[in-house]
Amino acid sequence: MNNTNPPTYRSAAAAGIASPRLQKSLHGLQDRFGKGAMEIWATMDDREMRHRVKDSRMNTFAHLDIILAELAKNVRARGGQVHFAATAQEAIDYTLAVAKKNKVKRVVKGKSMTSAEINIDPALEGASIEVVETDLGEYIIQLAGDKPSHIIAPCIHLDRNQIGELFAEKLGIDYSNDPPTLTMAARSALREKMLGAEMGLTGCNLACAETGQISLVSNEGNIRMATTMPPVLVALMGMERVVATLDEHREALHLLTRGAALQKLSTYVSFLGGPANADDPDGPKEFHLVIIDNGRSKILADPEFREVLACIRCGACLNICPVYGKIGGHAYNSPYCGPIGAVVTPLLDGINKHADLCKGETLCGACKDICTVEIDLPRMLAALRHKLAYGSDRWNTRQHNPIEAYVYSLWKLLVSNSFLYRLSLRLGWLLQRPFVKKNKMISKMAGLADGWTADRDLPPLAGRTFTDLWKRKYAVGRPSASKAQKKGGS
Amino acid sequence: MDSQNAFLRNIRQSLGLSPDEERPKRLFPALFAKTDTTLILQGIKNRTAEQQDELVELLKTNARALSITTHIVRTYEEAAAVIIHLVRTKSPEFTPTKHIIHHDHPDLAALQLWKRFDREGEGVTVHTTFSPDRQLREKTIASFIGITAPDIGVADSATLVQFTATGCPRSTSLVPSIHIAFLKKENLVADLREAYALLRERARLDSYVFITGPSKTADIEAQMVHGAHGPREVHLLLFCLSVVAETPNEAPIPLVPLKEE
Amino acid sequence: MTGAPVSLFIQCLVDSMFPEVGEAMVRVFDRLAVPLAYPEGQTCCGQPAYNSGYRREAAAAARHFIEVFAEAETIVCPSGSCVHMVRHHYPELFPGDPVMAERARAIGARTFEFSEYLVDVLRVTDVMAEYPGTVTYHDSCHLSRGLGIARQPRMLLENVRGLELIEMANSDTCCGFGGTFSINYPEISVAMVDEKITNILATGADAVVGCDISCLMNIGGRLSRRGEKVKVLHLAQVLAGVEGESK
Repeated sequence: MNNTNPPTYRSAAAAGIASPRLQKSLHGLQDRFGKGAMEIWATMDDREMRHRVKDSRMNTFAHLDIILAELAKNVRARGGQVHFAATAQEAIDYTLAVAKKNKVKRVVKGKSMTSAEINIDPALEGASIEVVETDLGEYIIQLAGDKPSHIIAPCIHLDRNQIGELFAEKLGIDYSNDPPTLTMAARSALREKMLGAEMGLTGCNLACAETGQISLVSNEGNIRMATTMPPVLVALMGMERVVATLDEHREALHLLTRGAALQKLSTYVSFLGGPANADDPDGPKEFHLVIIDNGRSKILADPEFREVLACIRCGACLNICPVYGKIGGHAYNSPYCGPIGAVVTPLLDGINKHADLCKGETLCGACKDICTVEIDLPRMLAALRHKLAYGSDRWNTRQHNPIEAYVYSLWKLLVSNSFLYRLSLRLGWLLQRPFVKKNKMISKMAGLADGWTADRDLPPLAGRTFTDLWKRKYAVGRPSASKAQKKGGS
Repeated sequence: MDSQNAFLRNIRQSLGLSPDEERPKRLFPALFAKTDTTLILQGIKNRTAEQQDELVELLKTNARALSITTHIVRTYEEAAAVIIHLVRTKSPEFTPTKHIIHHDHPDLAALQLWKRFDREGEGVTVHTTFSPDRQLREKTIASFIGITAPDIGVADSATLVQFTATGCPRSTSLVPSIHIAFLKKENLVADLREAYALLRERARLDSYVFITGPSKTADIEAQMVHGAHGPREVHLLLFCLSVVAETPNEAPIPLVPLKEE
Repeated sequence: MTGAPVSLFIQCLVDSMFPEVGEAMVRVFDRLAVPLAYPEGQTCCGQPAYNSGYRREAAAAARHFIEVFAEAETIVCPSGSCVHMVRHHYPELFPGDPVMAERARAIGARTFEFSEYLVDVLRVTDVMAEYPGTVTYHDSCHLSRGLGIARQPRMLLENVRGLELIEMANSDTCCGFGGTFSINYPEISVAMVDEKITNILATGADAVVGCDISCLMNIGGRLSRRGEKVKVLHLAQVLAGVEGESK
């Protein structure tokens, strides 16, 4: 992930919020796809399917060594080459070696977040290889020198006018802001690129160990092009993107296309098992599957977080998250944005480095409800905060905020002792007096609490707490709490 | 293989297992256990003519929603007529001349397309994807219409399952601007569950693709546009041979094309 | 009604900032002749610490809570998120201490949110309340998603004389409070509450009603700053037949 100084989560979020264009797109997206997915889950005949797929994913992880060995064996039996890459660098080195051996001058990419995760483009470009994204959204992003802001709809933050200007400048066409015209311009430009590329580079939605195939899902057909027309294919696969059997594949696919885009099926689902042969006349001459760890085994090893590997990258959580719905994808500063990104990015790339992703949500639970495979993301966000609160050797994480930790240790004293607690409330009531305005609200506070009062009023502490009022007005004539409860009478 | 060993060792370690003890697949039979598809396969085989007709209706409805044009044809002549009409009325997108290409498949051979255009002298060149043809790629790229005979149709999602095979390359349904699919009614199944049950019988296939409608994108302001990279039109010729309807007890087994009309 | 008294678990924010909500709850229970008790040693359930990751501190608060309410047979709270904390997170806070973990589980099983207790336990949907006016209802996250309580408050509201309930769009979308989130990420929090307010205003209702004072404080604080006239009421206040004591 990139090393130049990115804007902070807060500042990038503020920029997203300030863009009416982005707000409109995000609103439209969530209104349609977030609600649509919830509707599908609510009306599905097979209510157990999501649970079953989740169980099957978890069972796969518990036997991942066996399943990956089987996958590799079966791909090799079809004449494909399988490379296991422990790190991003190993995956890059292998891919680059394949490209060099084949004298590749141009690589056409199918949309792949794994390729963004390992940041392979600069390495290829450094070797004077032209890298072309072929998914329309990713292509637009690449032309603009921008970054994707949604897992499924990467250029949701750009509108038709911006794209029209971009195409006029970069493709030399007459300006148009008509989506069909723009799409046809990209179709022509990319067809040339795809038919003339020496190598296709894709991800892998789900591999099937039993059959020794990878499967790739797309609506545009670019992935079919990238996996068929160039003589060399390299597919990058996160090690968790595998199912054992075709039966499991069917159910995972069933959920994937619905969660992602409310479709019964995407336009194309390709199953690919190896290089061209007599029965597969026009496949690539070389087929390489790169299975990537890059931090996943560490997640696998921690029962608290293993569940996040079950994600099938449908992006549904982005389509409902009220935080993503306001800030957009760029604030996450990662190929993985939204709620899933908020959990997976810190785990892959450093919890301290991405502390804002761990803390910058409300734990509202919408992502858990919509998740196609019932991943409890809020639970893991809370667990990540737990690591930040005290530090964690396992995750090589240091205490995030010693001052905050000190405040909570004081807080602990107060909540454990009702006398001190009551005393502190009284003290607070006294100290707040200069801040309380005529409307009985506090509208300006110093320090931390200013985060609240910058744009909101705060009601003051009451002169008499409920506890005071209870003693004074309501306790009279009632049995005291402890006595009443012991007797259990009315 | 060294990279594989180290990688899998590390996975075992992460799972809290002894890293050096490989776990053989045979000790975990449940992992790759297959569900019993006998009933599903029987259900497909024993489907009555009425049930098949219902699937046809379902397919048509779902296809329409996905911008697939369905043409019901009862004879090879009718099928050929639809194709001829499409070739005549549609314009090539990337080339000045009209080339079309079809899979080397008995049902498509039965259409005798190469004769039909020669005879009328329209300047239409018909290619067949014969396996040893070294110019296959160029011919495919030059063609504006690609014709295939998918192996399975799925009514519930209006999906065509196209196997890649000798004489049936991948690119025919992908590179030309228009994809015409010739599907026999008896190869129609109800849903993906049935389709996967059939796929399992063909697990040795290297490659196949599910095609559900024309290529599309919604990347620009979520507006749907057809023809992003793949075909911008898909025409489905649904072959409903009347003979089949009259002999429901001898419904042909799916996946085996009829030998003759 | 007879039986063991209901022990009131008054959320810390209600106790210190919105005591009138607690009083409203007392009035409703008195009207229904439900015997009440109030364990005076109660402080905070520990949710702020838990949500910020400080589980040891949250465990201390939980331990205090479990002691204070040790003898209570039934605990009722005017806050969905506090009940969610007690019911779903307390049992996680004592790893390696099975005795405390069991006590935590047990106390979670006898702790109820206010509307849940009325409708699901007492089987009361009409508390003979009166509120002349139109209201809209905000589903707070931990109440609706965490505890699955969305139907109960609406049933109670629908039986209030003179009250008309107008549903807002996306009533179950988070208001942007999120505890310390609202202080640490105010830009995001305010953007979220502004959307909530847009949906509230679109109903034209006189008041927005909810079952979590923290959300209501967020919505109310922003309404106040924007100078909007919409009232903000806890469900208990509506059911008590008491109008508009919100500040």
